[in-house]
Amino acid sequence: MIPTTYFVMLSAVLFTIGVVGVLIRRNALVVFMSIELMLNSANLALVAFAQARQDVGGQVLVFFVIVVAAAEVAVGLALLVAIFHTKRTTNIDEISTLRG
Amino acid sequence: MPQLTWIIALIPFFPLLGFLLNAFLIRNERQAGLVASVMVALSFVVTIASMVILASPLTGQPRLSVMLWEWIRIGSFRVSFGFVFDQLTAVMALLITGVGGLIHVYSISYMRGDIRPVRYFAYLNLFVAAMLILVMADNLLLLFLGWEGVGLCSFLLIGHWFERHSVPPGIVPADAAVKAFVVNRVGDAALLLAMAAIFSRMGSLNFFPNQQLGVPGYLERAGELAFTNLDLGTFGAIGLISAITFLMLIAVTGKSAQVPLYIWLPDAMAGPTPVSALIHAATMVTAGVYLIARNHTLFANAGGTSGWIVAIGLLTAFLAATAAATQWDIKRVLAFSTISQLGYMVVAVGLGGYVAGMFHLLTHGLFKALLFLAAGAIIHGTHESQDMRKMGGLKDTMPTTFRVYLIGALALAGIFPLAGFWSKDEIISHAWFGAQNPGAAILLMLTSGVTAFYVGRQIALVFYGKQRDNTYHAHEPDSTMRNPLLILAGLTIIGGLLNIPGLHFLATYLNPVLEEREVVYDTGRIIGQVALAVVTLAIVGGAGYVGWYLYAKTFVQRIKLGKDDPLVRYLGDLWRGAEIGWGFDWFYQRIVIRPYREVSLFLGDVFDKQGIDGMLVDGPGRLVGRMAQSLRGAQSGFIRSYALMFLVGVVIVLGYFVFRS
Amino acid sequence: MELVVFIITAVIAITGAIAMLLSKNAVHSALFLLLNFAAIAVLYLLLRAPFLFAVQLIVYAGAIIVLFLFVVMLLGAERSEDDHDLLANWQRPLALGLAAALVVEAGYVLFRSRTLAVMSPTSDDLFAEPEKIAAALFTKYLLPFEITGFILLAAVAGVVVLHMQSQQTSSQA
Repeated sequence: MIPTTYFVMLSAVLFTIGVVGVLIRRNALVVFMSIELMLNSANLALVAFAQARQDVGGQVLVFFVIVVAAAEVAVGLALLVAIFHTKRTTNIDEISTLRG
Repeated sequence: MPQLTWIIALIPFFPLLGFLLNAFLIRNERQAGLVASVMVALSFVVTIASMVILASPLTGQPRLSVMLWEWIRIGSFRVSFGFVFDQLTAVMALLITGVGGLIHVYSISYMRGDIRPVRYFAYLNLFVAAMLILVMADNLLLLFLGWEGVGLCSFLLIGHWFERHSVPPGIVPADAAVKAFVVNRVGDAALLLAMAAIFSRMGSLNFFPNQQLGVPGYLERAGELAFTNLDLGTFGAIGLISAITFLMLIAVTGKSAQVPLYIWLPDAMAGPTPVSALIHAATMVTAGVYLIARNHTLFANAGGTSGWIVAIGLLTAFLAATAAATQWDIKRVLAFSTISQLGYMVVAVGLGGYVAGMFHLLTHGLFKALLFLAAGAIIHGTHESQDMRKMGGLKDTMPTTFRVYLIGALALAGIFPLAGFWSKDEIISHAWFGAQNPGAAILLMLTSGVTAFYVGRQIALVFYGKQRDNTYHAHEPDSTMRNPLLILAGLTIIGGLLNIPGLHFLATYLNPVLEEREVVYDTGRIIGQVALAVVTLAIVGGAGYVGWYLYAKTFVQRIKLGKDDPLVRYLGDLWRGAEIGWGFDWFYQRIVIRPYREVSLFLGDVFDKQGIDGMLVDGPGRLVGRMAQSLRGAQSGFIRSYALMFLVGVVIVLGYFVFRS
Repeated sequence: MELVVFIITAVIAITGAIAMLLSKNAVHSALFLLLNFAAIAVLYLLLRAPFLFAVQLIVYAGAIIVLFLFVVMLLGAERSEDDHDLLANWQRPLALGLAAALVVEAGYVLFRSRTLAVMSPTSDDLFAEPEKIAAALFTKYLLPFEITGFILLAAVAGVVVLHMQSQQTSSQA
């Protein structure tokens, strides 16, 4: 059996990579993808703990997360499309109306 | 008769009523003048009646008094609003209401067509009321009320034409009014200190004991306190009475325009001429002399102060006379002349000659008012010119005016047998024989010489020669202006009879109040006095003639508008120094006014605007603004920056929990 | 044996993630993400979660990545970012540093904490077979299950509304 710690560590690393992706990349879509990566890493950690505790609830939760993530991706991408209809760019730095 | 003593309250009441009527009800110029004059005339009548009552043997008391109401009661400090009417008051009241009434009538014609005549008459009445309160007050606080009141009215009346930026000879009326008020204030402060000292050490502010109020009078306690001292802590101790009288002296220098606080009087000529006549010749300026006379018991016991009084009086008399000789403006000559003659009065009371001082006060009131009013006639007649270089030859074109002016001028110079001769002579004789101070007497005689000189000069410049400015046609004043002049001239001629040596009516009359030693007329005294009189007459006659001759004959061609006086060539800087009043004004401007202005400007611009406004008021605002501006940088609108901040927070918080163990 | 599989899969996952990060072309990024999702699916298998393995591949790899690719193509976003970075110079190194710190903290927790170390996997391989998941899903977790239905409905509605709005603005423009 592989120690749970390894899985959780892997999850942390993937999460961090996702964070870096959100902060570094300017293409809105790649940022979104990074967010999905972060979600997945969380899922991984959940499944690892579910297996360690022999509790199926963890996996059910992961199932729900996946469902919600799917919904969220749909809506989020629709939003992106709507925004970029007007902005005509995929550079998220251009969306700075929160400025000030 | 005793039941009628309350009528003395009517004396100040009538002019006060006139003020109220003119201030609130009347809008018509003619009505205003009429009401004002009638009120003063009524006051005059009541004054006469009061004098009759006072003199009547049916009245048991030495003075008439009435207490209108209890004014202030704070513990043992009790002051009443009450009047007293004794012989000293009577004499002052006669002068105020009599001459005042004539001036009111004169004003009706003089102020015709003025921009605000109703206000003028209101203030004029208020002034008379305040002055009467001053002389009739039975305590120092009420006197001070009148004192301030005349100061206020002086301010209001000098600044009557406040909208004008300049009147001849170049004074701003509003500034002159403020100057009068502020300079007087210095004196007022001294008087307040004196009152404080009197109340705290002598028990009350009342002149005479008042049963109704339950307060003693302080005047009678002056003798017993003659050797008490006022402890000033580290400054040592000074005689109480000396201190009080010295403070009063300062007040007198302010109100009666002595050195060094006289500077307001020449500028006060910016007011209408009748105002100058009333306030600055006959009444307000005499308040100081009255104050000393009223407090004569104090001054009799104040050793050191008498020396100061005499010194100041002599200095003022002489310096002002020299200044008067150098002026071009007809009213300014009279202004300095007033200052000089006030010096005479101050010297007189300083030497204990209270009767002589009061005598001169009365005669001066008559002939100076006459001179001012006649000058007003001249000013009107020459179409508002006041510079004597524009006059000349008015003897033929304004004969009546010339004659009355001459009477006044000769009285001022002290020519026999006009009133001025007798009163000046009394002072000089008292100085020499009564007070044993020949030095003072000689200085006064010399001053009389200078006086005669400027009188002659003025007569020559105004009336003799040829009219130098031909832009006007000189004309005589109308009857409303002329009649008061004639009355005053008549009084000036016979005024000397009031106190002729030997008969001394005034001295006898005032004796119950002033308690002066009767003059003993032994042979030595008579010869001495006659000799003095003759010498003085000689000096006066000679100087007067020289003054007249120089300006009527010798220099008459060299008098031109804009050019200097011909005597400047011989006297140079002396002349110029006298012309500017020997630099007192200049001194105050440089040493007091300008630094004060600088400090004010500094406090206003730097301290207030930059310091308080800039740092304390705007400062926090700007600080907050700048802080907000810099914090704004964090609101870049970049999502990535915000996310970075999240991460920072997460790492820190997580780190705290992780590494806590 | 499983450890070897784990290591290989983990490496693939991390490589995919980093490649997704560094790729200039958005399409390449999506494909690398797909690789990552696949690796994670395998990891689920290793963790005795067959159901999730399937769901991960169907939903994530099959639907979400496809959606991403559609949008990338639609927006023409596959081009690389040519604008210069508008952020301040210090933000990029700070981000990397903080990320490293995050990893260090996680590592610290995991390898130093005693409670985590105590947890060791036990032996039941079938504790999460589909039947058991279904049982839990339709009994114990029924309410959340129904709610997710609503969530999906909301998502659909939202997408349609957004589409309509963007249609309106583009027809006005």
